[in-house]
Amino acid sequence: MHETALMKNLLTTIEQVLDSHHVSRVNRVYLSVGQLSNALPEALSFAFEAMTREGRLQGAELIIENRPAVARCESCGEEYRVEKFPLVCPTCRSTSFIIISGEEVYVQSIDCEEKCPDD
Amino acid sequence: MTRLQINQDLKALNNQIAVENREKFAAHNVYVINIMGSPGAGKTTFLENILPKLSLELRVAVIEGDLATQNDALRIEKTGVQALQINTAGGCHLDAKMIKNQLSKLDLDVLDLLIIENVGNLVCPAAWDLGEDQRMVILSVAEGEDKPAKYPIAFLKADTAVITKTDLLPFIDTDVNVMKKYIAEINPKVQVFTTALKDGEYEADQVVQYIREAVRRKQCR
Repeated sequence: MHETALMKNLLTTIEQVLDSHHVSRVNRVYLSVGQLSNALPEALSFAFEAMTREGRLQGAELIIENRPAVARCESCGEEYRVEKFPLVCPTCRSTSFIIISGEEVYVQSIDCEEKCPDD
Repeated sequence: MTRLQINQDLKALNNQIAVENREKFAAHNVYVINIMGSPGAGKTTFLENILPKLSLELRVAVIEGDLATQNDALRIEKTGVQALQINTAGGCHLDAKMIKNQLSKLDLDVLDLLIIENVGNLVCPAAWDLGEDQRMVILSVAEGEDKPAKYPIAFLKADTAVITKTDLLPFIDTDVNVMKKYIAEINPKVQVFTTALKDGEYEADQVVQYIREAVRRKQCR
Protein backbone atom coordinates (compact mmCIF):
# COMPACT_ATOMS: atom_id res chain seq x y z
CA MET A 1 0.00 0.00 0.00
CA HIS A 2 3.00 2.32 0.29
CA GLU A 3 3.88 1.91 -3.38
CA THR A 4 2.93 5.51 -4.12
CA ALA A 5 5.39 6.76 -1.49
CA LEU A 6 8.10 4.60 -3.06
CA MET A 7 7.30 5.87 -6.55
CA LYS A 8 7.48 9.46 -5.32
CA ASN A 9 10.97 8.71 -4.02
CA LEU A 10 11.80 7.09 -7.36
CA LEU A 11 10.83 10.23 -9.29
CA THR A 12 12.82 12.46 -6.92
CA THR A 13 15.86 10.19 -7.24
CA ILE A 14 15.71 10.11 -11.04
CA GLU A 15 15.07 13.84 -11.36
CA GLN A 16 18.22 14.49 -9.34
CA VAL A 17 20.14 12.37 -11.84
CA LEU A 18 18.53 14.17 -14.79
CA ASP A 19 19.55 17.52 -13.31
CA SER A 20 23.19 16.59 -13.73
CA HIS A 21 22.90 15.08 -17.22
CA HIS A 22 21.68 16.33 -20.59
CA VAL A 23 18.73 14.02 -21.10
CA SER A 24 15.96 14.60 -23.63
CA ARG A 25 13.90 11.52 -22.88
CA VAL A 26 13.83 8.63 -20.39
CA ASN A 27 12.95 5.36 -22.12
CA ARG A 28 13.19 2.78 -19.35
CA VAL A 29 13.62 2.64 -15.59
CA TYR A 30 15.03 -0.56 -14.08
CA LEU A 31 13.83 -1.29 -10.56
CA SER A 32 14.74 -4.16 -8.21
CA VAL A 33 12.04 -5.18 -5.76
CA GLY A 34 12.91 -7.46 -2.86
CA GLN A 35 10.63 -10.34 -1.92
CA LEU A 36 10.27 -8.97 1.63
CA SER A 37 9.76 -5.33 0.67
CA ASN A 38 5.98 -5.49 1.08
CA ALA A 39 5.74 -3.65 -2.25
CA LEU A 40 3.54 -5.15 -4.92
CA PRO A 41 4.97 -4.96 -8.47
CA GLU A 42 1.50 -4.37 -9.99
CA ALA A 43 0.83 -1.48 -7.61
CA LEU A 44 4.30 -0.03 -8.29
CA SER A 45 3.64 -0.14 -12.04
CA PHE A 46 0.22 1.43 -11.58
CA ALA A 47 1.61 4.26 -9.45
CA PHE A 48 4.50 4.78 -11.88
CA GLU A 49 2.14 5.04 -14.83
CA ALA A 50 -0.13 7.48 -13.03
CA MET A 51 2.78 9.65 -11.92
CA THR A 52 4.57 9.78 -15.29
CA ARG A 53 1.66 10.92 -17.46
CA GLU A 54 3.44 14.23 -17.63
CA GLY A 55 6.79 15.68 -16.64
CA ARG A 56 10.30 14.59 -17.44
CA LEU A 57 9.59 10.87 -17.26
CA GLN A 58 6.57 11.02 -19.52
CA GLY A 59 6.27 7.83 -21.57
CA ALA A 60 8.99 5.97 -19.68
CA GLU A 61 8.59 2.24 -19.12
CA LEU A 62 9.14 0.66 -15.71
CA ILE A 63 10.92 -2.68 -15.72
CA ILE A 64 10.76 -4.55 -12.43
CA GLU A 65 13.13 -7.31 -11.43
CA ASN A 66 11.96 -9.38 -8.46
CA ARG A 67 14.79 -10.18 -6.07
CA PRO A 68 14.69 -13.17 -3.75
CA ALA A 69 15.32 -12.79 -0.04
CA VAL A 70 18.44 -14.31 1.48
CA ALA A 71 19.00 -15.37 5.09
CA ARG A 72 22.31 -16.05 6.83
CA CYS A 73 22.45 -18.87 9.38
CA GLU A 74 23.65 -17.56 12.71
CA SER A 75 25.10 -20.93 13.66
CA CYS A 76 27.20 -21.92 10.64
CA GLY A 77 27.16 -18.82 8.41
CA GLU A 78 25.51 -20.53 5.43
CA GLU A 79 23.52 -18.17 3.21
CA TYR A 80 20.26 -19.52 1.80
CA ARG A 81 17.13 -18.41 -0.07
CA VAL A 82 14.08 -17.51 1.97
CA GLU A 83 11.30 -19.66 0.62
CA LYS A 84 8.83 -20.63 3.29
CA PHE A 85 8.61 -20.38 7.04
CA PRO A 86 9.92 -21.77 9.32
CA LEU A 87 13.39 -21.03 7.96
CA VAL A 88 15.79 -23.91 8.53
CA CYS A 89 19.45 -23.83 7.53
CA PRO A 90 19.99 -26.42 4.76
CA THR A 91 23.48 -27.16 6.09
CA CYS A 92 23.17 -27.39 9.89
CA ARG A 93 19.36 -27.33 10.42
CA SER A 94 19.58 -24.34 12.76
CA THR A 95 16.52 -22.05 12.89
CA SER A 96 18.55 -19.05 13.99
CA PHE A 97 18.99 -16.60 11.12
CA ILE A 98 19.26 -13.00 10.07
CA ILE A 99 17.79 -11.64 6.85
CA ILE A 100 20.60 -10.16 4.75
CA SER A 101 18.67 -9.12 1.65
CA GLY A 102 15.20 -8.99 0.20
CA GLU A 103 13.83 -5.86 1.86
CA GLU A 104 15.20 -3.46 -0.71
CA VAL A 105 13.41 -1.49 -3.42
CA TYR A 106 16.08 0.17 -5.48
CA VAL A 107 16.48 1.82 -8.81
CA GLN A 108 19.35 0.22 -10.73
CA SER A 109 19.61 2.33 -13.86
CA ILE A 110 17.75 4.24 -16.55
CA ASP A 111 17.93 4.10 -20.32
CA CYS A 112 17.70 7.56 -21.84
CA GLU A 113 18.36 9.70 -24.88
CA GLU A 114 21.05 12.26 -24.25
CA LYS A 115 20.79 15.74 -25.72
CA CYS A 116 23.58 17.10 -27.85
CA PRO A 117 25.19 19.97 -25.94
CA ASP A 118 24.15 22.54 -28.57
CA ASP A 119 20.52 21.37 -28.92
CA MET B 1 20.55 5.51 -26.12
CA THR B 2 22.56 5.73 -22.93
CA ARG B 3 22.27 3.71 -19.74
CA LEU B 4 22.85 5.71 -16.56
CA GLN B 5 23.61 3.67 -13.43
CA ILE B 6 21.80 4.93 -10.36
CA ASN B 7 21.85 2.11 -7.76
CA GLN B 8 19.90 3.90 -5.10
CA ASP B 9 17.55 2.36 -2.53
CA LEU B 10 14.22 4.18 -2.56
CA LYS B 11 14.13 4.00 1.22
CA ALA B 12 17.67 5.37 1.52
CA LEU B 13 16.52 8.82 2.64
CA ASN B 14 14.14 7.33 5.19
CA ASN B 15 16.85 5.01 6.48
CA GLN B 16 19.30 7.89 6.78
CA ILE B 17 16.83 9.97 8.83
CA ALA B 18 16.07 6.88 10.95
CA VAL B 19 19.79 6.61 11.75
CA GLU B 20 19.82 10.28 12.78
CA ASN B 21 16.74 9.75 14.96
CA ARG B 22 18.36 6.70 16.56
CA GLU B 23 21.54 8.67 17.31
CA LYS B 24 19.50 11.48 18.84
CA PHE B 25 17.54 9.06 21.04
CA ALA B 26 20.79 7.41 22.14
CA ALA B 27 22.39 10.76 22.97
CA HIS B 28 19.43 11.56 25.23
CA ASN B 29 19.13 8.02 26.65
CA VAL B 30 15.57 7.65 25.40
CA TYR B 31 14.30 4.15 24.66
CA VAL B 32 11.88 4.01 21.71
CA ILE B 33 9.21 1.44 20.89
CA ASN B 34 7.42 1.33 17.51
CA ILE B 35 4.04 -0.36 17.92
CA MET B 36 2.41 -1.90 14.87
CA GLY B 37 -0.83 -3.82 14.38
CA SER B 38 -4.09 -4.04 12.48
CA PRO B 39 -6.90 -1.56 13.11
CA GLY B 40 -8.79 -2.77 16.17
CA ALA B 41 -5.99 -4.98 17.50
CA GLY B 42 -6.11 -3.02 20.76
CA LYS B 43 -3.00 -0.85 20.42
CA THR B 44 -4.42 2.28 22.02
CA THR B 45 -6.25 0.30 24.73
CA PHE B 46 -2.96 -1.46 25.50
CA LEU B 47 -1.26 1.93 25.89
CA GLU B 48 -4.07 3.38 28.00
CA ASN B 49 -3.60 0.51 30.41
CA ILE B 50 0.18 0.18 30.56
CA LEU B 51 1.02 3.91 30.63
CA PRO B 52 -0.20 4.53 34.20
CA LYS B 53 1.99 1.61 35.35
CA LEU B 54 5.02 2.62 33.30
CA SER B 55 4.82 6.25 34.39
CA LEU B 56 5.22 5.27 38.04
CA GLU B 57 8.91 4.69 37.33
CA LEU B 58 9.60 6.16 33.91
CA ARG B 59 9.08 9.47 32.14
CA VAL B 60 7.05 8.56 29.07
CA ALA B 61 5.68 10.30 25.97
CA VAL B 62 3.65 8.93 23.07
CA ILE B 63 3.48 9.75 19.37
CA GLU B 64 0.21 8.64 17.80
CA GLY B 65 -0.09 7.90 14.09
CA ASP B 66 -3.53 8.02 12.53
CA LEU B 67 -4.98 8.74 9.12
CA ALA B 68 -7.37 11.47 10.14
CA THR B 69 -8.33 11.96 13.78
CA GLN B 70 -6.97 13.25 17.10
CA ASN B 71 -8.94 10.59 18.99
CA ASP B 72 -6.04 8.43 20.08
CA ALA B 73 -3.88 11.29 21.34
CA LEU B 74 -6.85 12.53 23.39
CA ARG B 75 -7.29 9.06 24.87
CA ILE B 76 -3.59 8.91 25.80
CA GLU B 77 -3.60 12.39 27.35
CA LYS B 78 -6.30 11.24 29.75
CA THR B 79 -3.69 8.94 31.32
CA GLY B 80 -1.60 12.04 32.11
CA VAL B 81 1.06 11.19 29.50
CA GLN B 82 2.10 13.73 26.84
CA ALA B 83 0.79 12.67 23.43
CA LEU B 84 1.54 14.09 19.99
CA GLN B 85 -0.70 13.24 17.07
CA ILE B 86 0.54 12.76 13.52
CA ASN B 87 -2.14 12.67 10.84
CA THR B 88 -0.88 10.98 7.72
CA ALA B 89 -3.85 12.17 5.62
CA GLY B 90 -4.43 8.75 4.13
CA GLY B 91 -0.79 7.63 4.28
CA CYS B 92 -0.55 4.01 5.36
CA HIS B 93 2.53 4.23 7.59
CA LEU B 94 4.70 6.60 9.62
CA ASP B 95 8.14 7.39 8.26
CA ALA B 96 11.34 8.59 9.90
CA LYS B 97 10.88 12.18 8.76
CA MET B 98 7.45 12.44 10.38
CA ILE B 99 9.03 11.35 13.67
CA LYS B 100 11.94 13.75 13.23
CA ASN B 101 9.47 16.61 12.71
CA GLN B 102 7.84 15.85 16.06
CA LEU B 103 11.07 15.74 18.06
CA SER B 104 11.31 19.51 18.47
CA LYS B 105 8.03 19.36 20.41
CA LEU B 106 9.46 16.87 22.92
CA ASP B 107 12.02 17.57 25.63
CA LEU B 108 14.13 14.44 25.20
CA ASP B 109 16.25 15.33 28.23
CA VAL B 110 13.33 14.63 30.54
CA LEU B 111 12.21 11.40 28.83
CA ASP B 112 13.09 7.75 29.42
CA LEU B 113 10.67 6.16 27.02
CA LEU B 114 9.00 7.23 23.79
CA ILE B 115 6.26 5.00 22.42
CA ILE B 116 5.20 5.45 18.80
CA GLU B 117 1.84 3.97 17.86
CA ASN B 118 2.00 3.43 14.13
CA VAL B 119 -0.96 3.69 11.74
CA GLY B 120 -3.30 0.70 12.09
CA ASN B 121 -1.96 -1.58 9.36
CA LEU B 122 -0.02 -4.83 9.51
CA VAL B 123 1.67 -4.42 6.12
CA CYS B 124 3.29 -1.08 5.38
CA PRO B 125 4.68 0.13 8.74
CA ALA B 126 6.99 -2.90 8.83
CA ALA B 127 8.94 -1.55 5.85
CA TRP B 128 9.83 1.82 7.40
CA ASP B 129 12.51 2.21 10.07
CA LEU B 130 11.75 5.11 12.42
CA GLY B 131 14.88 4.88 14.57
CA GLU B 132 13.26 2.73 17.25
CA ASP B 133 14.96 0.30 19.65
CA GLN B 134 12.11 -2.16 19.76
CA ARG B 135 9.47 -3.17 17.24
CA MET B 136 6.34 -4.49 18.85
CA VAL B 137 3.47 -6.13 16.96
CA ILE B 138 0.09 -6.15 18.66
CA LEU B 139 -2.52 -8.63 17.49
CA SER B 140 -5.76 -9.74 19.05
CA VAL B 141 -7.00 -13.32 19.33
CA ALA B 142 -10.12 -12.15 17.47
CA GLU B 143 -8.07 -11.64 14.29
CA GLY B 144 -7.58 -15.40 13.89
CA GLU B 145 -4.67 -17.64 14.78
CA ASP B 146 -3.11 -17.63 11.32
CA LYS B 147 -2.64 -13.83 11.19
CA PRO B 148 1.15 -14.17 11.69
CA ALA B 149 1.40 -16.58 8.74
CA LYS B 150 -0.58 -14.17 6.56
CA TYR B 151 1.53 -11.14 7.50
CA PRO B 152 4.98 -12.67 7.97
CA ILE B 153 7.06 -9.56 7.33
CA ALA B 154 5.65 -7.66 10.31
CA PHE B 155 6.65 -10.58 12.55
CA LEU B 156 9.95 -11.17 10.80
CA LYS B 157 10.95 -7.63 11.76
CA ALA B 158 9.45 -7.66 15.27
CA ASP B 159 11.25 -7.96 18.59
CA THR B 160 8.12 -8.48 20.65
CA ALA B 161 4.52 -9.50 20.02
CA VAL B 162 1.60 -8.86 22.33
CA ILE B 163 -1.49 -11.03 21.90
CA THR B 164 -4.44 -9.04 23.23
CA LYS B 165 -8.02 -9.87 24.23
CA THR B 166 -7.18 -13.40 25.43
CA ASP B 167 -10.23 -13.18 27.70
CA LEU B 168 -12.25 -13.75 24.49
CA LEU B 169 -10.70 -17.20 23.90
CA PRO B 170 -13.60 -19.19 25.43
CA PHE B 171 -15.97 -17.63 22.88
CA ILE B 172 -13.99 -17.98 19.63
CA ASP B 173 -12.16 -20.58 17.56
CA THR B 174 -8.64 -19.20 17.97
CA ASP B 175 -6.08 -21.46 19.64
CA VAL B 176 -3.56 -19.09 21.19
CA ASN B 177 -0.84 -21.77 21.20
CA VAL B 178 -1.22 -22.20 17.45
CA MET B 179 -0.94 -18.42 17.08
CA LYS B 180 2.27 -18.49 19.12
CA LYS B 181 3.57 -21.39 17.04
CA TYR B 182 3.03 -19.39 13.84
CA ILE B 183 4.94 -16.46 15.32
CA ALA B 184 7.82 -18.71 16.43
CA GLU B 185 7.99 -20.32 12.98
CA ILE B 186 8.46 -16.97 11.30
CA ASN B 187 10.79 -15.48 13.87
CA PRO B 188 11.99 -17.60 16.80
CA LYS B 189 13.52 -14.53 18.47
CA VAL B 190 10.23 -12.73 19.06
CA GLN B 191 9.28 -12.45 22.74
CA VAL B 192 5.56 -13.10 23.02
CA PHE B 193 3.28 -11.67 25.72
CA THR B 194 -0.46 -11.83 26.29
CA THR B 195 -2.98 -9.42 27.77
CA ALA B 196 -6.48 -10.01 29.10
CA LEU B 197 -9.31 -8.08 30.64
CA LYS B 198 -10.42 -9.94 33.77
CA ASP B 199 -12.94 -8.63 36.31
CA GLY B 200 -12.45 -5.13 34.95
CA GLU B 201 -8.67 -5.41 35.36
CA TYR B 202 -6.35 -5.22 32.33
CA GLU B 203 -3.62 -7.81 32.86
CA ALA B 204 -0.33 -6.89 31.20
CA ASP B 205 2.20 -7.09 34.03
CA GLN B 206 4.77 -9.20 32.18
CA VAL B 207 5.05 -6.91 29.21
CA VAL B 208 5.18 -3.85 31.50
CA GLN B 209 8.07 -5.48 33.37
CA TYR B 210 9.79 -6.35 30.09
CA ILE B 211 9.56 -2.74 28.86
CA ARG B 212 10.88 -1.34 32.16
CA GLU B 213 13.88 -3.67 32.01
CA ALA B 214 14.56 -2.86 28.36
CA VAL B 215 14.59 0.88 29.14
CA ARG B 216 16.94 0.37 32.09
CA ARG B 217 19.26 -1.81 30.01
CA LYS B 218 19.62 0.94 27.42
CA GLN B 219 20.25 3.56 30.08
CA CYS B 220 22.94 1.44 31.77
CA ARG B 221 24.89 0.93 28.57
